[in-house]
Amino acid sequence: MFELDIRSRQPIYEQLVEKIKEFIIREVWGPNEQLPSVRLLAKELTINPNTIQKAYRELEHQGYIYSIPGKGHFVATQPEEVSREKLETAKQQLLKLLCEAFYIGMKKDAILSLVDEAEQIAGGGDPR
Amino acid sequence: MIEIHHVHKGFEQVEAVKDVSLHVQKGSIYGLLGSNGAGKTTLLKMLAGIYKPDDGDIFIEGEPIFENVKLKKKLLFLPDNPYFFPHATIQQMAQFYRDVYPGWNEERFWQLQEWFSIDVQQKIQRMSKGMQRQAAFWLVFSVMPDVLILDEPFDGLDAVMRKKMKNLLVQDVAERNMTVFISSHNLREVEDLCDHVGILHNGEMIMEREIDDLKADVHKIQVAFRDGIPSSFLTGLQVVYQEQRGRVLLCIVRGNREEVDAYIQRFAPVIFDVLPLTLEEIFVYEMGRIGYAIESVMV
Repeated sequence: MFELDIRSRQPIYEQLVEKIKEFIIREVWGPNEQLPSVRLLAKELTINPNTIQKAYRELEHQGYIYSIPGKGHFVATQPEEVSREKLETAKQQLLKLLCEAFYIGMKKDAILSLVDEAEQIAGGGDPR
Repeated sequence: MIEIHHVHKGFEQVEAVKDVSLHVQKGSIYGLLGSNGAGKTTLLKMLAGIYKPDDGDIFIEGEPIFENVKLKKKLLFLPDNPYFFPHATIQQMAQFYRDVYPGWNEERFWQLQEWFSIDVQQKIQRMSKGMQRQAAFWLVFSVMPDVLILDEPFDGLDAVMRKKMKNLLVQDVAERNMTVFISSHNLREVEDLCDHVGILHNGEMIMEREIDDLKADVHKIQVAFRDGIPSSFLTGLQVVYQEQRGRVLLCIVRGNREEVDAYIQRFAPVIFDVLPLTLEEIFVYEMGRIGYAIESVMV
């Protein structure tokens, strides 16, 4: 299901958090869908169940999933705050990249045409 | 679950374990690391109730373990050299374990035959080292202990078997909340498995950490500035190690990734990279920081 890099400097639970977030953001898993159980993931990935638990706790804390005691973990309908937070990070990253682009001599027109291109790839960029 | 308080153990002139304290939670996988002769096996044997500590206390589920039969029924110690009765077959050994451990699961034992594909009628002592270890694991997983203590468990196993054994271990931890205590001289072997690690060196516990924290708060960074390194640059960082290569400054810093990032960006570096740091490197630098000679500690 996931591929994790055990030798990576990035902690395994962080990798898990990112992978699961990706699945949720890309709607591979829809709202209220049940996530694989800790047992199942531990077995499939051969990783410490405590690590998975930690990743699920973190995702719950960030509002991506919710848990029902005795039932398991489920995908949350994404709260506005999460999307706003994501927008903010995207802005920051863009700004940084744009500054770099200007610095190495890229012209505004070239950047704008890239924006058009990106819009096409993303399919019009309609808001979630 | 497991509590060790200021434990000492010596043999004649040698002080094998000096004032070691540690704490392991139920359902946790704890990795005890250390070079040869660091005192790992001695500590493990005390934990299994085989050696009596000279000083200090060891409690498992709140009870002292030494000579505690009731507790030992739920605890299993797999020594670095698994012991089998002379000329015993796997089936005969299974009979012994079945009699001794109330947690023995006959169904599991037969299920596991698929995992190992060893003939139960075969004499264990005629098997190869790796096969003997597999036989030991087979018995271990059939006993279904609450606490499992493993001394260099993956020694002699091939990569496929290693993965299988780890998989069985995490399944037991996930399903039954088993507590596992593993010793190893090889960090690589256990870094994917443990949630906590402790390093024993010359009988002393010199470091204990949650493995994710260890990875998350140490970074190797490479920076360069147009007009040399600003004088106040290093003062705001927790530098573990630094080295200047021409105009590039390479340093290992501790701290939150985002904070470190934000701090360095303020100085507008022309080059700024965060390079990968393996767990091994982290250990080496951490040990250097507390004054241990790097080369003597771990490969």
